[in-house]
Amino acid sequence: MPRRKLTAEAPVPRVSRKRGLVADPYEVPDEIEAPKRRRQLEPTDPEETEDPADEVPSVVEETPKRRQSRPPKPAVAGTQSSQVTTPSALRQRPLAKTPVKNGIDTPSRRNIADRSARKKSARALIDRVIGGAISDDEVEEGGIAREIYESSEDEDEDERGAQDEDQEPTTPSKTPGRKRKVQARKRSPTPPRDLPPHEQYFYQNKPGLSKTSNNSLSSLDLLTHDEYFSVLRQLEDPHSSDIHFLESLHAQSFPQWAFELSQGFTTCLYGYGSKRRLLHNFATYLSSQSPTHTIVIINGYVRTLTARDILATLSAAASPTAASSNPPATTPTINATTTLPTLLTTLTTPLTLLISSIDAPPLRKPALQTLLTHLAAHPLIHLACTTSTPTFPLLWDAGQRAALNLVFHDCTTFAAPTLAEADVIDEVHELLGRKARRVGGKEGVAFVLRSLPENAQSLFRLLVGEVLVAGMDRDGEGPPRDEGHGEVAVEYRMVYNKAVEEFICSSEMAFRTLLKEFHDHQIITSHKDSIGTELLSLPFRIDELESILEELSV
Amino acid sequence: MAEVESSTAAFEEDDHRVAYIFNAGQSPSQSQLQVVQTAATAATARPAKRRKVAKTTTIDAPKQQQAVVSGPAFPPLFNGAERPDAVQLRQDLFATAWPVLEARVQHVLRDANRTTLDEVAAFLQQAAAAETGKLTAGFIITGPNIASQDLLFEQLAERLGTADQATFVRLRASEAPNLKATWLKMIRDAMAKEGGEDGRKYLDYDLEALRVFLAQQQQRPPRVVVAFQDSEALDSGLLTDLMTLFHSWHDRIRFDVLFGIATSVELFQARLLKSTARQLYGAQFDVVQADSVLERVIKSAVAGTQAALRIGPSLLRSLVERQRDQVAGIQVFVSSLKYAYMCHFYANPLSVLLAGDGRLDSGLVQPEHFEAVRTLDSFKAQAEAAVEARQLNHAQSLIEDDQYLVGLILEQEQKRREYQTQLLRSLHILAAAGLSPSSFVELYMVALASGIDLSQASGTVPAEDAVRRLNPDEFLSLIDRVLKAIHAGSPELGLDAWESDADEFVAALADTRDEVEGLMARAKRNRTSLKSRYSAQSRVLRTTVVSQKVQLSRDTATLTAEDTAFTAAVDTLTALLAQNLHCDPVGRLFLHEAWVYDAKSPYRDVFVPRPAATVARALSRPHDYLACACCSQAAGGGLAATLPPTAILYQLYREAGALVNVADLWSAYYALVGGDDDESDVGLGERAALVCFYRALAELRLMGFVKQSKRKADHVAKLKWL
Repeated sequence: MPRRKLTAEAPVPRVSRKRGLVADPYEVPDEIEAPKRRRQLEPTDPEETEDPADEVPSVVEETPKRRQSRPPKPAVAGTQSSQVTTPSALRQRPLAKTPVKNGIDTPSRRNIADRSARKKSARALIDRVIGGAISDDEVEEGGIAREIYESSEDEDEDERGAQDEDQEPTTPSKTPGRKRKVQARKRSPTPPRDLPPHEQYFYQNKPGLSKTSNNSLSSLDLLTHDEYFSVLRQLEDPHSSDIHFLESLHAQSFPQWAFELSQGFTTCLYGYGSKRRLLHNFATYLSSQSPTHTIVIINGYVRTLTARDILATLSAAASPTAASSNPPATTPTINATTTLPTLLTTLTTPLTLLISSIDAPPLRKPALQTLLTHLAAHPLIHLACTTSTPTFPLLWDAGQRAALNLVFHDCTTFAAPTLAEADVIDEVHELLGRKARRVGGKEGVAFVLRSLPENAQSLFRLLVGEVLVAGMDRDGEGPPRDEGHGEVAVEYRMVYNKAVEEFICSSEMAFRTLLKEFHDHQIITSHKDSIGTELLSLPFRIDELESILEELSV
Repeated sequence: MAEVESSTAAFEEDDHRVAYIFNAGQSPSQSQLQVVQTAATAATARPAKRRKVAKTTTIDAPKQQQAVVSGPAFPPLFNGAERPDAVQLRQDLFATAWPVLEARVQHVLRDANRTTLDEVAAFLQQAAAAETGKLTAGFIITGPNIASQDLLFEQLAERLGTADQATFVRLRASEAPNLKATWLKMIRDAMAKEGGEDGRKYLDYDLEALRVFLAQQQQRPPRVVVAFQDSEALDSGLLTDLMTLFHSWHDRIRFDVLFGIATSVELFQARLLKSTARQLYGAQFDVVQADSVLERVIKSAVAGTQAALRIGPSLLRSLVERQRDQVAGIQVFVSSLKYAYMCHFYANPLSVLLAGDGRLDSGLVQPEHFEAVRTLDSFKAQAEAAVEARQLNHAQSLIEDDQYLVGLILEQEQKRREYQTQLLRSLHILAAAGLSPSSFVELYMVALASGIDLSQASGTVPAEDAVRRLNPDEFLSLIDRVLKAIHAGSPELGLDAWESDADEFVAALADTRDEVEGLMARAKRNRTSLKSRYSAQSRVLRTTVVSQKVQLSRDTATLTAEDTAFTAAVDTLTALLAQNLHCDPVGRLFLHEAWVYDAKSPYRDVFVPRPAATVARALSRPHDYLACACCSQAAGGGLAATLPPTAILYQLYREAGALVNVADLWSAYYALVGGDDDESDVGLGERAALVCFYRALAELRLMGFVKQSKRKADHVAKLKWL
């Protein structure tokens, strides 16, 4: 019976508090409180505190009454008399007198509400005891009342306990603990372990907790594409044999997946690791099983993917005669609403559609998913897909999911993403906010420049030349690196003047227009230095720049 | 990296293409194929691959012809030792078993919507005749599951298109983002049947075009039914515009609108303008509740006699619970059912034993089958029971004599049918008599799991009390119901009437009925009411006050002779029912594994995946998947330098707060994997480590774990808490 225990223990801390109060010679008695205390001294039974455990029935009956006469002075008063007679270890603790505030502080709204709930529940409990007979629903009500009543008691208990602990160290100094509010719980430096994910979220997102060091990667030479690939080529994955084995395990399920596809299910492979290769092997398996089936593979991770591409390929696959004549180029405007019905009606042979990364950003558009759903609902089209994020089920609503008729398989491959799936360097640099996506290497630059007018090309040539010259100058002086990239910048004004001299442009306006074009293709970057001079730089390394210059000069 | 180099050039080229037609002949990926072919044996042998490939394809050649017809062939089980005709038999069994059920399910589903269809059609006709000058609107309360609405609207289109000669257009909210797109879609759909009219050119979204088209079709008056499947998702402004326009076109084209409503008409109306609502002349229709549809489907497709495969009680329970908890559509249930069938016939070699009608002969059964049978739990139970019953010969031949076992196996078909019939008949009577408060589905699951036993104390379906408490009228009607159930059978369950099989039972019931009728007549003559010992009135609580004290005493009311006879009749009926409505739990039957499918795990994995947990597990304990020697010390979770970089980063990521400093992440990572510069064989060099770090970070980003944070330099924000 927890309640009895509570009431039995409740007086104990109060006793000690009172003692502390009395023992404190500097304590100025509270005018408002003192008379109250004295007044309430009488009604309480002093024996109750002497040995509360013996008086079980009376305690149980007493409790509600005592509760009603809040603030909880009675016990405090009661102890005064028993102070000498029962010296217990607990009571000897010299504790301060904060709990006083318990009684007279203007109660907060919540306190008032709590108190009235407590009163009500106490009354209900008493009524029930007096009333005797209990029907079923009354038991339930009584349960609630008891709960409210007890929870408040617990709270009090906790509160008191916390205060006591807080004050213990301060007592010797005799600073009046009265002003102190309940202290915020001390934050331990080690994070709590084994929290469930949602708790972890709230824990980690607590305001003020996200303290991170000010270290930055400026001392680290970030990787470039070339270096990345050259290192990658030498790197050997210690797990490659295990990964291969894992893949072969998955490969054993190919017949099963093929069976599922043939029964109108959409097979969806999920789990960590690139499944591009697995899907490719699956395609190979399917075509070895039935060469007559057409298999169309869609790479969802390719950023330029549109509904048009899918439909064009599908219609090429559906009518092989058209496929011979270079399908995507010759087909007229392809539109989902017009092409799809004709496509579906012309389809006569089964068609298997394999989609890698159905949850990749280009495929996340609802319109595309609707299109895929329509396709999958067709009895002659079988769809299998792989996913790469753990949140892929959010792609589909109930209707789409029913139409897709999905079955899922855990295909954790641990395979590293292929080059097409992840442009690692760009991804990381974008993540770090270092550099935006740009045209790949010098081929990209050449490609961009070819589409630009003559004077733009000459301007870029000029720019490259200037940057190279500046780089050489700087090498002579020693490396005053700016930006940590070893990138060399040239002054905007200077380049403009040179451009005017060489008749590349006649006005700053035209110059700006040309630069804007470069900016759009991200083959140039500009920033201001500390005194506000505008600087232009090229996001390439020296040797790259040299080869670009060579190419431009030819 | 070795992997990158080994992958063929064509493969990489394909990687960058958006979409392409796969051509195995063109891409030189023979090595890939080889991986597949040898996967089953997990052989790593590289030599002689061409020959191997060539051989397998020639073997497959005859199979391919047939594969085109009936899907890919099942792989042989028993490690490939299963005989081809047994494999073929399994496949045939599946091919015959499932379509029957599917047809039944479709029939049930279509039938469930019939009343709604009738009502809607009748309403539209009546509204047309009424000439209200308003827009006729039918509000169909379809319930929250949008997946199950498709069938209903399909049927509506069929019905209204054929019977009423109306043009039917279905619109989804996603297809109708704005007015113009809606018109476009509507007009295109309405005119889809015939295109290419000449004369004046209309804009694509001109309703005039539709009018002219419909006039050409000789529809008098031109009539279009527009159905909005998910009307809650439609923009309310758009809805208002549409209604107004429909109304204003009313004199030229008669538009009727149907709304599929998931919540309630009141909520829907609250979204419309009052003026718009005033233009509508509507009625509300309810669709049959998903629960009752589910029960019907289960009755006909799971419990019915036509179901070749019994879905086991625990699987069935989880399926039904999923329907309730996740509001999954009935389609999901049907797919799950189909998947259970697929699993059974695809992966259980003993499923051939389901073949009846002499297709299963002793020639088909091969030694592996015996071996498989002897590992079954039910076989062990049978053998043990035989030993305990001192039938040692029987037990010995069970274990040793293959021919004896064949005989038993061939017998099972008959026993299975008997069991099934007994089970269904008992259930049918129980349900028809209303003896148990639980639903049929619940009863069915209980019966399969623990059998049917009517006894009050220990039974699975305690119905004795219910019988005893009956008064004579109810008693008679109960007997009537039972007799009727036997007489009529249950077309839903596929049960025929079985009076001839149960003539004893029927006769006994009829006797009891006659007797009780006689008793009632006699009691009526005596002007007493007939009661039994069990009915509540038989006991009287007597209160006596003796010297101001209350004494309570129970008294058994005296029973007349009729009452005693009635009590005897009640007892007879209870005994009869208990005797006839009885069946064993399915798990106790010999060889039930061949025709009961009760595995929950593939179902749960396949239909209710937990991708987040899977990814978290792969990354936090890679050893579970890779089973490599190097990571075994980190098998229980924890960090080790040999773990895949992404896994290490994931662990660090989990420990980090909501904001992650990449520089610190890198130094932590490098401290773990990096070696000292002097000894290059331990750990990675800085650049190599950086490459791994980059790749891992990029992967984390692609999986959506981190995003760029602008709050601090070189920081990323955490996005996932798995």
